Amino acid sequence: MSAWLTEARRTAAEQSSTIAVPTIASEHWRYTNLRGIDFAAFAPATPADRSAEVEGAILLTGAEGGRIVQRDSTVVVATLDPAVAAAGVTYCSLEEAAVTHPALVEAHLGSIVTGAERFAVENAALWTGGVFLHVPRGVRVEQPLHAAFEIATAGAAQHWRALVVLEEGAEATFVEEHVTGVAGYANGVVELVVAPAARLHYVTVQNRSTEALHFATHRAEIGRDANLEWVSVALGGKTGKTRLESRMAGTGSSVRLTGTAVVDGTQHVDLDTTQEHDAPHATSDLFFKGVLRDRGRSVWRGVIRVAKDAQKTDAYQQNRSLILSEKAHADSIPGLEIEANDVRCTHGATISRVDQELLHYLRSRGLDRDTAEHLIVQGFFADVLERISDERLREAVGAALQTRLG
Amino acid sequence: MADLVIRNLHAKIVDSDKEILRGIDLEVSRGETHAIMGPNGSGKSTLSHVLMGHPGYEVTDGEVLFHGDDLLTMAPDERSRAGLFLCFQYPYAVPGVTVANFLRTAINAHRGKGDPIRIPEFRTRMEAAMKLLDVDRKMSSRYLNDGFSGGEKKRLEILQLAMLKPSLAVLDETDSGLDIDALKIVAHGVNAHIGDEMGAIVITHYQRILDYITPSHVHVLIEGRIARSGGAELAKELERAGYADIAASVEA
Repeated sequence: MSAWLTEARRTAAEQSSTIAVPTIASEHWRYTNLRGIDFAAFAPATPADRSAEVEGAILLTGAEGGRIVQRDSTVVVATLDPAVAAAGVTYCSLEEAAVTHPALVEAHLGSIVTGAERFAVENAALWTGGVFLHVPRGVRVEQPLHAAFEIATAGAAQHWRALVVLEEGAEATFVEEHVTGVAGYANGVVELVVAPAARLHYVTVQNRSTEALHFATHRAEIGRDANLEWVSVALGGKTGKTRLESRMAGTGSSVRLTGTAVVDGTQHVDLDTTQEHDAPHATSDLFFKGVLRDRGRSVWRGVIRVAKDAQKTDAYQQNRSLILSEKAHADSIPGLEIEANDVRCTHGATISRVDQELLHYLRSRGLDRDTAEHLIVQGFFADVLERISDERLREAVGAALQTRLG
Repeated sequence: MADLVIRNLHAKIVDSDKEILRGIDLEVSRGETHAIMGPNGSGKSTLSHVLMGHPGYEVTDGEVLFHGDDLLTMAPDERSRAGLFLCFQYPYAVPGVTVANFLRTAINAHRGKGDPIRIPEFRTRMEAAMKLLDVDRKMSSRYLNDGFSGGEKKRLEILQLAMLKPSLAVLDETDSGLDIDALKIVAHGVNAHIGDEMGAIVITHYQRILDYITPSHVHVLIEGRIARSGGAELAKELERAGYADIAASVEA
């Protein structure tokens, strides 16, 4: 391992040892209580079986331009279409990239997710395997690049990481899925560097076992006139927190965040989003929808931050939750922190239950309760799915939601 | 036995003490059209809701047999699959679900598991029903009742009737809010199905719809009871004299 990386890990490890697990006394953790979770009880992931095919990935179509699978601690599959490689694209494990592309990795790793957040710092100290995607200036990759992160060994801790760098004017689709059939602890960091005029499509699907802990910090920095189309699908996990942060760093940059979640059983899903406007004429548009049933709990906290100089900002956020059972519960906390004076910002949150009159209407047409509820939920997700511009992706996400609902 | 047999039916709104239906007796068979008329608050709509199993109503006495089975113990979806259809006075909207998707889901619910209708057959049936009701084919890709006009909603109700082919249809004030052209089209759609395969209960406050759907029987509902029954001529008489005389005779 190169000296700079060893040093970075050592610094993070030192820092990590000084940061306690957050408690509900901290504002961001008010609704997500980690008390009683013994993080030390999870064994560091070790190299796993290389032969098995990844199971449970919903967005694998066979048309991928490249694939990476990280099972437990190591990357066990890494392929890249020779034509895509010939265009100068790098898609490999982050560990490997640190050796083969040290300058690129050193320049960007840890440059987007900074600060002293407990889980991100722990990840910086302990990550293994990982994914590195680099698309050179002006290169457009048509086929999606797919990565799957899997815990195959019950009780393992997987510190996964992804670094995506799109140089100026580049275009790519990065699809990341978390599939896990067993209980474990996953803690990840994703850094997305979207250089001026680049366009990134980013899809993240959290489909871990409902016995697994899932923590993640995804953060994007979007340059001048660049665009990020971000789709987040939350289906699995027992508890944890997923941060989805985007920073409009360049004039005229934009992000469109589309989120869907299905939460049931005794799941607790916590989504923490920020839309940070540090440059003028930028646009951010967040629309998240979740369905809850059984004793499922969801928390969405969303903040739009507009810096003083970020005039002419357009920022929207909307969160809607549909509750199907008496004991499910959703908390929705939208927030605006605006220092500029010439901006357009709107936000809203609604939490509603299934209309019993509507349910009766559908049942009066012969639909049993489950079928009627499914139809209502299908309708509920329709507008959020319409935002996914790639048709194949839209259908796959829609089908995954239906499958998840059973 | 008649397809539908209602005996001494009493019902109230859940969590209320006041009985709205106070002993209804009625028999309806295929080929028959029973008009149920009456002033506001007489229990007309309650009867339709109770027949469909709306959870907001509670039956306190009496029985309802549908094809000889106890209708009141059946869930609303079972009632539908058994051949009962209620044309809602105020249909509900389901944003995000297209008319075609909804119709196909409903037909498949009636066909049972493992026997979904094939798409071409579904298309053919839907298009025939749309033609019968003079409905724009584009309606199939619109969201169910979402932003529909009153007339469009009622036509869509009858379209569902045409596709689900019930043995008994209950029309709850289907005429309300319709202009005369829309009323004619709706009546035409209903008439096309009344016959050997279907009977109908037409609930209405006004005589108007009965100019287009000729009833074989007319019943006047006053304060939760059928106060008078007769043939089509009774509706004409009510048109002239109103409900006051019958109401007065009930009180006396």
